[in-house]
Amino acid sequence: MVWVNAIVQGILLGGLYALFACGLSLMFGVMRVVNLAHGDLAVLAAYLALAVITGLHVPVLWSALVVAPLFGVVGYAVQRFVIQRSLDVSPLTTLLVTFGLSIVIQNVLLEGVSANSRSLPTGWLASASFQVNSQLSIAYESVIVFSVAVVVLSSLQLFLSRARLGRQVRAAADDLEAASIVGVNVRHVYGIAAAIAFATVALAGVAFGMYSSFDPAAGPQRLIFAFEAVVIGGVGSLWGTLLGGMILGVAQVLGAQVDSSFGVLAGHLVFLVLLALRPNGLIPARLA
Amino acid sequence: MTAGPLLELAGVSKRFGSIIVADSLSLVVRGGDAVGMVGPNGAGKTSLFSLISGDLSPNSGEVHFEGRAVTRLDSAQRCRLGIARTYQVPRSFEHMTVFENVLVAAYRGAGLRGHAASSLAAGVLDEADLRKQANSPASRLGLVQRKRLELARALGCKPRLLLLDEVAAGLTEPEVAGLVEVIERIRARGVAVIWVEHVVRALVGMVDRLICLAGGRIIGDGEPLAVLASPAVKDVFLGTSYGEASQT
Repeated sequence: MVWVNAIVQGILLGGLYALFACGLSLMFGVMRVVNLAHGDLAVLAAYLALAVITGLHVPVLWSALVVAPLFGVVGYAVQRFVIQRSLDVSPLTTLLVTFGLSIVIQNVLLEGVSANSRSLPTGWLASASFQVNSQLSIAYESVIVFSVAVVVLSSLQLFLSRARLGRQVRAAADDLEAASIVGVNVRHVYGIAAAIAFATVALAGVAFGMYSSFDPAAGPQRLIFAFEAVVIGGVGSLWGTLLGGMILGVAQVLGAQVDSSFGVLAGHLVFLVLLALRPNGLIPARLA
Repeated sequence: MTAGPLLELAGVSKRFGSIIVADSLSLVVRGGDAVGMVGPNGAGKTSLFSLISGDLSPNSGEVHFEGRAVTRLDSAQRCRLGIARTYQVPRSFEHMTVFENVLVAAYRGAGLRGHAASSLAAGVLDEADLRKQANSPASRLGLVQRKRLELARALGCKPRLLLLDEVAAGLTEPEVAGLVEVIERIRARGVAVIWVEHVVRALVGMVDRLICLAGGRIIGDGEPLAVLASPAVKDVFLGTSYGEASQT
């Protein structure tokens, strides 16, 4: 039963990883930008949520409703005014620019909020859970985060496959020049993709802040989880990312059963094995 | 809007380093014109299309479309004004269905939404004889169908000027005939066509004006048979004295 519990918890945790990773996958899939500041954005979102919670005295879930749209707007602007300019120079420049962004975010946070680790006050949610049987109990918090992840990924999938703008995103991802030649405003479409990526990473950042403490330097470690989830699942595939997140989550929780310090390492090992066996991911690349 | 020329190029030049692909080109195309364009490899035909469509911007010179300066506009903006092109090597959106390929064009190129966009896309697919493949991914099409999709996607933009870049290359005789029929119908709707093709026979039957390009310059422009018969054009195609009667 201990193992069943670990697997259930791992799957729920995997939802968070998928929510966190889908923005990374989207930005890479659409504009071939590897956003090295992705983890730091999640941390920044958590600090912003903390400010919203303490400033407006609202519960943690409400703070996400403020932070995510704000991040969406910021994402659009960052894409148009920072990332697009580096894309125009060369694809490699985007690596440097997002790496720079990562350093800036970390240091601004360090300067502004100190290196102390913080966590989001979750109120009654922190300890609320339901008992499946004597040995398996599931926290409401994990179920909420998992549900949000599934709803976000499904909506994103639906948006990309059916919406007018979503189809333009896919066209631009497939062939930039050909998209432009049929009238697609590629820069705007890129901005939209970045807005979605930033909004989802903000949601993930708030969720991370509910689960565990964070500090200004926590970003890069989380970025690795996102990379792993994306690569395990297959770059550009949203369902793959969900699957990848779950596999990573289960590996980590099962690893932690063996030894509490083995969890993260177990995740990395599973990632390495899958990378060796299925370098294209479990659900090969396909942005649809 | 009706009085002036549809497309006007004035002294358009484009260089890549020391290679000149357009050497002070001037050209006027009127609404409904059917213009053929020939020239040896490297003559600058595709570059000229890119300069008209906005894929390339010129080093100097001006491009006007329907009396409006479009030189500074990008390809998306020019497409929305009514210039559509096909690529010589088809560039379909591989991960989308054939229908969606055209739908995206109908959304932005023609500026339609919802049902209007879908019905335009469906009509265009009918016209290009791709109805049956509508829901298969573009990646599953063969060459002929990809060429047709290029054409369908350009038509999905509801253009007033259609630039066709070797849509018939690599096709068999009956396939070319089918394609010519489709293009005839498009013309009949008043869409101006500029058609680059190595298959000169397909061109001469359809266009009422032929332009010959060489070295980024126009060396012949006028009635098709007269242009083909002119000494300058013969020189370029056949060599001065004893070239073989090859069409390219």
